[in-house]
Amino acid sequence: MGRIALVVGALIAIVYPIPLQLQGYTYYQTVGFLVLINAMLGVGWNVIGGWAGQFDFGPQVFFGVGAYTAALLYVKLGVDAWLGLLGGAAVAVVICAVLTYPLTRLRGHYFAIATVAIWMIAQPIGAAWEYIGGAQGLFIPMKPRSGVVDSALGLQFSGPTKAMGYYYAALVLFVITLALMAMVERSKLGYYFRAIRDDQEGAEGIGIDSRLYKVIARSITAAVFAAAGVLYAFWALSVFPEQVLELNWSTLPIMATVVGGIGRLWGPVLGAVILIPISQIMSTTLGTGPLAGRGIDLIVYGLIIIVIAAFRPTGLLSLPWGRWLRWRRAAPA
Amino acid sequence: MAPLLSVESSTKRFGGLIANRDVSLTIDAGEIVGLIGPNGAGKTTLFNCITGYMHPDAGRLVFDGADVTHARPERICRLGVARTWQVVRAFGRMTALENVICGALQRTSRVAEARARATELLEFTELRGRGDMPAATLTLADKKRLEIARALATRPKLLLLDEAMSGLTPFETAAAVRLVRRIHEELKVTICVVEHVMEVVMPLSHRVVVLDYGVKIADGPPQAVVRDESVIRAYLGERRAAR
Repeated sequence: MGRIALVVGALIAIVYPIPLQLQGYTYYQTVGFLVLINAMLGVGWNVIGGWAGQFDFGPQVFFGVGAYTAALLYVKLGVDAWLGLLGGAAVAVVICAVLTYPLTRLRGHYFAIATVAIWMIAQPIGAAWEYIGGAQGLFIPMKPRSGVVDSALGLQFSGPTKAMGYYYAALVLFVITLALMAMVERSKLGYYFRAIRDDQEGAEGIGIDSRLYKVIARSITAAVFAAAGVLYAFWALSVFPEQVLELNWSTLPIMATVVGGIGRLWGPVLGAVILIPISQIMSTTLGTGPLAGRGIDLIVYGLIIIVIAAFRPTGLLSLPWGRWLRWRRAAPA
Repeated sequence: MAPLLSVESSTKRFGGLIANRDVSLTIDAGEIVGLIGPNGAGKTTLFNCITGYMHPDAGRLVFDGADVTHARPERICRLGVARTWQVVRAFGRMTALENVICGALQRTSRVAEARARATELLEFTELRGRGDMPAATLTLADKKRLEIARALATRPKLLLLDEAMSGLTPFETAAAVRLVRRIHEELKVTICVVEHVMEVVMPLSHRVVVLDYGVKIADGPPQAVVRDESVIRAYLGERRAAR
């Protein structure tokens, strides 16, 4: 059953932009791009928040670190996006490891507060540091690209196929992230992260260095956030502090993870597929016309999340889908 | 031959309370040692110091030739000490098998190998058939067995059992005693059991150490310890001892 859902989902994800492209709609492809980027972030956040059980509300710092690193490499050294993406992820991992190690002495709410505090410190640094453009940020100039392959290799799409190009770029990064995290889940790391979540003292008693593995978990999350930040920077053609250090880069993926199913590999994916289109539909319907500018769209969006969270706190994936979908086959027995 | 574990004049204070005062004891390879004493005698504190969750304020701990006085729990586990907990610390949301795999991963990084070892240990601890159940849903007796299986998966030389039999029915207790004997005989693991149920410790232990108010008051074979004046006083009070 899971296999069928996977194949159908993959086909839909691959074919999705084509009819839209033929009709000349680019808006829904951008919605798809946002779904994928948030699903990717959610899958990344699940490592520290879902498996290791440490509530991290400041991973958007590494979204910014990735975006800034790749933009600087591109602007100052002419390094292309994909190499910049590796560089951004590497820088994010190093910064995350250094910042997180002292934090691992803290537990529960205190850990969460400390992650937020680091984000609050990062904002003025981003706004005031001249080398990275200060409050104006950095602009990423387009290089002339000849053909699809050149565009894809440079992660720079323009013209009528821009939205489709970034959709597929996001799909590729999302699939790579999902595959890597599936490997992490089944490896020693996945077991150790969950052991620490369920009982830290118990985990230490069987030889697990809880501080080290918390740092590893958060650094994996940071790498995913950095990679997504690079993608976003090249899509937006710019990096500036309010945009890449925005709180929504953590709240949306975290909400997607919680709504879909925290600690489950596919939870954030389901959550993003449900939440992001709702938020876009809300803002294009309720956010325009006579009610525009009153935040009605955000209120309705918030209510929808509250209802789902109250109805199924362990996430929609934890519903007995298998039993519901298999009832016919089970009936004869 | 040097003892496997030696505790040398370990003292641990909590503010004004002295939980362990100048406690010295040794455990030789191949022994089953019972550590007994009334509630609050400092047995669990001693366990916590040996396993690195606390560090003594004075004194020294040596395991297998290495000074572990200030070592962290994960290092002590790597050296070959495993423990269970008075209040069970199973990984509740993971399955029983996954719990034991986590322990086995201490000695291998390959999950398939760890899984094979974990399956053997679930068999050994008579938890076969419980492998796929979330640990939180097991009965207390099964959770205690699961903790033992998880501890054994780290391939310890010394296993410390903190009240592995308290809260169990007489039938379950008898099964737990059999399990401890099998661990000692078949896996050749040295064992130290904390217990306040005398009926369990006496027949099981080769040697019994008694703590009272943080001080070691007796150390010897079970038959000698039960006749010891100070032990009787600690357990039964002044008047009984006088008779």
